[in-house]
Amino acid sequence: MWKFIVRRILIMIPQLILLSILIFFLAGLMPGDALSGQIDPSLDFETIEKKREELGFNDPWYQQYGRWISGVVQGDFGISFRHKVQVTELLSERMTNTLWLSLLSLVITYLIAIPLGVISGRYNDRIADQLITGYTYIGFATPLFIFALLMVWFFGFYLDWFPTGGSVKPGLTPGTFSYFMSKIHHMLLPAISMALIATVGTVQYLRSEIIDTKQKDFILTARAKGASESRVYNRHIFRNALLPIAAFFGYEMAALIGGSIFVETIFSYPGMGQLFLDSINLRDYSVVTATVLIFGLATILGSLISDIVLSLVDPRIRIK
Amino acid sequence: METNQSSVEIEVKEIEKSPSGLRVVWRELKKDKLAMASLLLLILIAAFVYGVSWTLNQDEIVKVDLFAINEPPSSEYWLGTDYGGRDVFGQLIIGTKNSLTIGILVTLMSGFIGIVVGIISGYFGGTVDNIMMRIVDFFMVLPFLMIVIVFVAIVPKYTVTNFSLIMTLFLWMGITRLIRSRALQEGELDYIQASKTLGSSHIKIMFTQLLPNLSSLIIVTMTLNLAANIGIESGLSFLGFGFPESTPSLGTLLSYARNPQVLEHRWWIWLPAALLILILMLAVRNVGEAMKRATDARQRRG
Amino acid sequence: MAYLEVNDLKVHFPIKGGIFGRTVDHVKAVDGVTMRIEKGKTYGLVGESGSGKSTTGRAIMGLNKITAGNIIFDGKDVTNERGTREDFRKDVQMIFQDPYSSLNPRKRVYEILAEPLRNFEKLSKSEEKKRIYELLEIVGLSPESIYKYPHQFSGGQRQRIGIARAVALQPKLIIADEPVSALDVSVQAQVLNFMQQIQEEYGLTYIFIGHDLGVIRHVCDRIGIMYKGRFVEEGNTDEIFNNPQHIYTKRLVSAIPDIDPRNRGKQINFRAQVQKEYEESFSDYFDEDGLVYPLRKISDTHLVALPGRGE
Repeated sequence: MWKFIVRRILIMIPQLILLSILIFFLAGLMPGDALSGQIDPSLDFETIEKKREELGFNDPWYQQYGRWISGVVQGDFGISFRHKVQVTELLSERMTNTLWLSLLSLVITYLIAIPLGVISGRYNDRIADQLITGYTYIGFATPLFIFALLMVWFFGFYLDWFPTGGSVKPGLTPGTFSYFMSKIHHMLLPAISMALIATVGTVQYLRSEIIDTKQKDFILTARAKGASESRVYNRHIFRNALLPIAAFFGYEMAALIGGSIFVETIFSYPGMGQLFLDSINLRDYSVVTATVLIFGLATILGSLISDIVLSLVDPRIRIK
Repeated sequence: METNQSSVEIEVKEIEKSPSGLRVVWRELKKDKLAMASLLLLILIAAFVYGVSWTLNQDEIVKVDLFAINEPPSSEYWLGTDYGGRDVFGQLIIGTKNSLTIGILVTLMSGFIGIVVGIISGYFGGTVDNIMMRIVDFFMVLPFLMIVIVFVAIVPKYTVTNFSLIMTLFLWMGITRLIRSRALQEGELDYIQASKTLGSSHIKIMFTQLLPNLSSLIIVTMTLNLAANIGIESGLSFLGFGFPESTPSLGTLLSYARNPQVLEHRWWIWLPAALLILILMLAVRNVGEAMKRATDARQRRG
Repeated sequence: MAYLEVNDLKVHFPIKGGIFGRTVDHVKAVDGVTMRIEKGKTYGLVGESGSGKSTTGRAIMGLNKITAGNIIFDGKDVTNERGTREDFRKDVQMIFQDPYSSLNPRKRVYEILAEPLRNFEKLSKSEEKKRIYELLEIVGLSPESIYKYPHQFSGGQRQRIGIARAVALQPKLIIADEPVSALDVSVQAQVLNFMQQIQEEYGLTYIFIGHDLGVIRHVCDRIGIMYKGRFVEEGNTDEIFNNPQHIYTKRLVSAIPDIDPRNRGKQINFRAQVQKEYEESFSDYFDEDGLVYPLRKISDTHLVALPGRGE
């Protein structure tokens, strides 16, 4: 068991290093460098060159990489060219917003997935199951951003049930109840939109898992022993089917990260995804680098957690 | 004499159909009404957009006309105009054509890489496979959307070709994995071993013996990928990192909706494109899923 | 000198384990096999599944890597060039066990039979066609078979196609890996007789791998019995069947069913005797790992794995 975990973590280390090197080089390819934002344009070429030399821009790449990565490890992503503040400072609030939005989406995802999957699997091929299967079928083919657009158009603008931008109503004091409610209110529609699309995979998985388990011998045995139908489902089938679902949350997390770029843009929600896009458009590359790195890290960690939890739950995975 | 007589018979037999992947899939597909309807719809849409865009002048459509900005649908402009006075209906047709074209292009290119890498990895196994799969793993954990956007942003002289190459660069892994695992199973079978003993080279075995046995899987996967790739293209264009505005696609039409004014009040600009993407993706998936069911149901010789 | 010599052949498969996937141990599939095969004769390799008989065959063929030992074919050492040496490739061919998986389901019979020809012989289209008709005639399939696919044939017919493919290059040695064990008993004899017939006609040498002693007795001139990667006993067919020395061989021979009811009493007696000997003297025949001892000569042609017997 622990062997698998150690091996899985060991696989992750080169992935992290490669990711950081890739991002470092992409940053190098981005036009301009940390100086072009800082230097007075009236300075002549030689002074700039001298300054570049002093700051070590002419060192070999691995020295520059070393300096950069040791900064990153200590949480220092440099300075935003546009906002003239530490990138870390810029990130902290956005990160909190994205984190809460992702968590809420995750909760809603499971709130939808579990009952739908269970109903669909238990009563398979009846009308309820057919409706749910139809939903997952369409959900699979629907790109998140189109669905989110339709949602904000209909519930945000047409019905005016939800706000269509921001993360909180301006003028409220942080910490108060109405502030908290306003936050939830702002997050709800984007979270539901994401969850409705993200959940279809889990629903389908749960459904097929339950249908599979239903026909297994140990379930037949439980029935034969006279266990009631609800006991068979609650004690035997769900437990088997739900455990892997719990492990999926790492993968879900990775999917939500990609989705947050769309959803935050569409709902004008001030999170990491929006910050990333804005910074790309503003050519604020130190921020771009930082956001890509954080999202990359989250994706790698997400799949690590899921792999490990899955291997705990389902020994078949370990044999890989 | 005897051989002569039988060779006449053989010429007739030669016409007998081969169970090629496409044929097996097609035979099963014909039985699925929904999939056939989807396929018909796709053919009609494709024929329409490719046919009509032949007669349309793209420069004419993307030319700014300040006297006709933001017009609602009318008999002159069936779907109104955008902020530059450009005809939305014309953009929709050209956009659908461009989205389909790049979707197909990216699917073919990533499919090609997937087939080559997957077969090599699965056929040789061992160290080769190990190294290749670690590379695939690495690409899989990259935050796909962000990396593509960064690439698009930093590529000098950004063109449609560059865009499809960048998409391909980060979309070859899924099909590679599928093909690799099937090639691994298939490579264990004796007919592959037999080819080795008969003196066929590795390349020959991989691409003339193994490949035909993966054809159903390849057709199904590429069809499903096509649906996904149309979605990815429109998503990137929606964010402003796909097609440039001068080359309309379904995604660029949708990107107008990033402006709340357009989103709320001028639905005719973005809603048709949104629905068209949904229809296209659903139809392609219908066809793909039906083929998948057909090939899964019986692990037939195909 | 023997036509094919295999000297102390070892095929070990690594077992990967640990965190870094290092090799922690080996499965010794073939562990020191030596044999001499005479031209025009049939050599039988017998053993239970997992005994290493198929691996031995595949290693000679070049389908498995050799860990140690060497192979000398027709006086030339081919150990390291089994896959590349053209004459070896042409002269040594294989018949596979499973007639369903050994033919590519996507290829017509024509293409299956043309594959070896195209690799080694530059034939014109019409010559190629002629050769393929000849091959089909040899194995007794109708000429119009050439445009059919493997799934349109029965198991026995498929095995004939496999044999036609193996003889296409006019090889001198054929390794037949359980060629009839996947076939119905009624078809087995047909295929076996036919294999013997082409052996006589073309002077072929066979290595016949099998587990069915009835079949082996019927076709082989000389037999090697394998157990856990090693030889237990090697000898001419009648030495093995009429004078088995090792307890393992005795048990195999005693297990052959005899349809003559008059021999039933004798048979039961023999089995009981063998079983008793097996229980009493197991440790005389197997070492502490349950493996057999090295072979020793007890006559010019008969070798047995016993400590302290023979020379």
